[in-house]
Amino acid sequence: MLEQQLVNGLTLGLIYALIAVGYTMVYGVIELINFAHGEVYMFGAFLCMTFLTVFGAPLIVAVLLSMACCALMGVLLDVVAYRPLRNAPRLAALITAIGMSIFLQNLAMIIWGSRPLPFVKEALPAFFKVTALSFGDVNISWMQMTIYIVAISLMILLNVIITKTRTGTAMRALAQNRVCASLMGINVNRVIAFTFALGSGLGAMAGIMVSMFYNTMYPTMGYNAGVKAFAAAVLGGIGSVPGAMFGGVVLGIAETLGAGYVSSPYRDGVAYAIMILVIILRPSGLLGRAVTEKA
Amino acid sequence: MLGKGLKFFGTACLMGLLLAAVPALADDVIKIAVPSPYTGSAAGFGENVKAGVTLKVEEINAAGGIGGKKVEAVYLDEQCEPREAATVSTKIANDKAIVGIVGHLCSSAHLAALPTYVREGIAAISPTATSVTITDKNKDAKGNVWSFRNVYRDDFQGKFLAQYVDKVMGLKKIAVFYENNDYGIGLKDAFVKEAKTLGLTIVGEEAYMKGAQDFNPQLTKMKGGAPEALFIAGYYPEGALIVDQAKKIGLDVPKFGADGFDNADYIKLAGDAADGLYLTAPFLAETAGPDAKKFIETFKARFGRDVDWMSANAYDATGMLADAIAKVGADRAKIRDYLAGINTADKGYKGITGVNYFDQNGDCLKPAYVKTVKGNAFVPAPKQMD
Amino acid sequence: MRGVTALLGPLKYLLLAAALAYPLTPVSDVYVLHVVVLVMVYMVLAMGLNILPGFCGLLDLGYVGFYGIGAYTAGLLTLNYDLSFWIIVPLAVLNGALWGIVLGAPTLRLVGDYFAIVTFGFSELVVLFLTNEIWLTRGPLGLPGIAPVSLDLSWLSRLLNPEWDWRYVFSGEEPYYYLGMAMVFMVYVVLRRVEDSRLGRAWLAIREDPMAAASTGVNLFAYKVIAFAVSTGIGALAGCFYARWAMFLSPDMFKFWESFLVLCMVVLGGLGNIRGALIGAVVLISLGEVLRVALPKFGLPAETRFLVYGLIMVLIMRFRPGGFFTAVAESTLASPLIIDLRRKLAARKTG
Repeated sequence: MLEQQLVNGLTLGLIYALIAVGYTMVYGVIELINFAHGEVYMFGAFLCMTFLTVFGAPLIVAVLLSMACCALMGVLLDVVAYRPLRNAPRLAALITAIGMSIFLQNLAMIIWGSRPLPFVKEALPAFFKVTALSFGDVNISWMQMTIYIVAISLMILLNVIITKTRTGTAMRALAQNRVCASLMGINVNRVIAFTFALGSGLGAMAGIMVSMFYNTMYPTMGYNAGVKAFAAAVLGGIGSVPGAMFGGVVLGIAETLGAGYVSSPYRDGVAYAIMILVIILRPSGLLGRAVTEKA
Repeated sequence: MLGKGLKFFGTACLMGLLLAAVPALADDVIKIAVPSPYTGSAAGFGENVKAGVTLKVEEINAAGGIGGKKVEAVYLDEQCEPREAATVSTKIANDKAIVGIVGHLCSSAHLAALPTYVREGIAAISPTATSVTITDKNKDAKGNVWSFRNVYRDDFQGKFLAQYVDKVMGLKKIAVFYENNDYGIGLKDAFVKEAKTLGLTIVGEEAYMKGAQDFNPQLTKMKGGAPEALFIAGYYPEGALIVDQAKKIGLDVPKFGADGFDNADYIKLAGDAADGLYLTAPFLAETAGPDAKKFIETFKARFGRDVDWMSANAYDATGMLADAIAKVGADRAKIRDYLAGINTADKGYKGITGVNYFDQNGDCLKPAYVKTVKGNAFVPAPKQMD
Repeated sequence: MRGVTALLGPLKYLLLAAALAYPLTPVSDVYVLHVVVLVMVYMVLAMGLNILPGFCGLLDLGYVGFYGIGAYTAGLLTLNYDLSFWIIVPLAVLNGALWGIVLGAPTLRLVGDYFAIVTFGFSELVVLFLTNEIWLTRGPLGLPGIAPVSLDLSWLSRLLNPEWDWRYVFSGEEPYYYLGMAMVFMVYVVLRRVEDSRLGRAWLAIREDPMAAASTGVNLFAYKVIAFAVSTGIGALAGCFYARWAMFLSPDMFKFWESFLVLCMVVLGGLGNIRGALIGAVVLISLGEVLRVALPKFGLPAETRFLVYGLIMVLIMRFRPGGFFTAVAESTLASPLIIDLRRKLAARKTG
């Protein structure tokens, strides 16, 4: 049973990780907790479903289109809502993020209705249901394998982008010191927009995979996932991309084991308790760099 | 400089609030209030109630209204939140044109609004609030009941299902999975209590939160107890996922649920795993009268989806209220007295969900039927309780 | 401008008189009174929260946790021991402050957003506790039937004239309207006094520059803990009032969203501005009610209420990023005391 729980936890954790990198990257470059990120994740699922049913697009096309749309949405969020507040007090941007989150959630409710919708089953390849690996009592379906493969390869890709490309270098420079970065000739706004696009695209992918795996999507789904992923980002050290990935997986497994062995009503509590303890004992998070108080 | 901000927003908000308070001039309509969640996470359920009320109101108005006056339903959003519900309740009490209430949807919202209804003297019929606690809190100092419901209490269904599992299905080892809210806990407690009296074994009691999507940890744990049946005390959005995930991990046993599952969307969400669920329902479409059949067809034509119990109950609750208004006039106190007088099956209101009448606590007394899902459709269970 | 200010003086008293007399007039109605009392609860919450981000520069995302602790303390003491409201108030406030210190002591040393995140996690744990410890709180079934506030002056009547029965049980919205007003007034006055005291100046110094403040001999940690305790105590006070007014509690009432709502009120009013916090509460609570009535007039369904609500929040921040009362906030900063303080701080820093 422990092995099965670990497999369950890993699936959940990789999804948290995909959402968490979105939080952490945005935080890294503009120090904003982007509360509307959970809503982008939700839109990813709904858009994908819409492309499949309304336009009859093939699965791969629908997924990619949905990711692209969400990336665009992330950029729009930044340009419309956050960019004008770049020099305003930090809390103004935080309130704006909350306002956007409420707005987007209710927008989805008006477009798609507030009742939970199933994913388009017909669009899924038949082999998804087949068991891919089986040892002892433990079964891993191809659907789960797909989540593992997609999530891990996306995160490797992300790491490559951040460490090897010029834009990635610019992102890291920005995270260190925005003023300095702009003095070095980096187009700050463009890099921030790119960060939003990247995070939102990954968030959308997480939303799509969740709705496929659980066969459901509803307008308020972004809240729970968003809060958990946010906790994961903090756990790993907010601002650190590998930290977010690691934090997501740790949180997913901890939550699953907590629900399985400790107490199911306190399932979510396990996540928060771990988060608080980590912060108190190791304020920079598991993989974060030490932060000093900014004047 | 205290200027613009205060002047504009402060005044606007105060004026707006005062305007919001001014009730519309009473023209020739009879108003009923329908407070339910129309935004927020429970909005999907609110939509169901709204659909049921809409159909009934249209039907009444098409037939000429009540005593020549049109009926108007006022839909007030309370997000299923107690704080909002309390505010909405004062808004309803304040609008003298409103003579009765169909709502609230959630028990906690209903409980928060009740003190106002009792104090201000306006009767509410809830089509969906199932909490046992409402029974203790719905009376004024004189013992008059101000809140009625045409839905079963949690304890009735929980007990009923435990007996069904034991006597009809003959299953002895049960795992219980409940949603951590008033509905789920109420059902679970009644079920477990009755199961223990009947000598059934409970091999696992696990909870989940509303909006959860991943139930694997709890299911995996329950599977370890090798149950013969799974009782799910919750609503269909999560319930469908539980059924699906249970099948995936090989926990393929009969499932039992209460009216929270009675929704066509359950089958869409649960997919191939939908079969093998047994649930209680206030009426069976197959054996229902012509009125119910007509309602089911009209509903589908109008909203493009299958009917659910919430819409059906809301339709009947509106019917009862309209009936009361037609009999005693648009007077809040008289309407309450009339509703309280519907206390035997003979005097009962014959609606699409059967005969609706209340006991001395305003709770409904309705028989329950068992439906099951077979071949991706709801059908009456082969065996009913005697 | 001067003319307007001169006019504002008498106008203020006129408004106050009107507000005091309102429930007694024939135009008073239960709905407006209810919303106004709700606004008062949020005014107290906003003023209490304001201490942390406004005065000390600490972002608290879990304020609702203390509001919940206060409310449940009051609710449980009322239901189980039938204590009088007047005894419960200090108990609830102390309990709130106590939990504030318990949480604050280990976390206030944290820097930046980590503090905010811990408070957020704490408030979620409070809600989980209220939901799951059914033996104590009845969990999601809620706490119905909490007795209303009552005023028992029978000891006084016994002293004066045994014939009189001076017991008054609050019923309806009117008595709560006056009680709420008294509560808001009291908290306002206390905080205004604190703002100008040694304590308030120490807090402002911490917000402006912790390092310099420490070097001038301000015990950062002690002052932060005091701030946290005062703030959480006020949150618990609001919860206590709410419990005895609403007469029903359930864990749903204390979700994360409420913390945000209160934070929005504080930011909207203008950080660090007590009067701004009051206006923020008025705006955000009545906005929801105004939209309820206004939207159908424009032909929009009830479902769009929060769509517009969110949009308005974004727009306000877009055009007034410092909140409505940046001007007043700046005027607070323009007070000679604070200028003097800043100058001293600057001198220390460079010297």
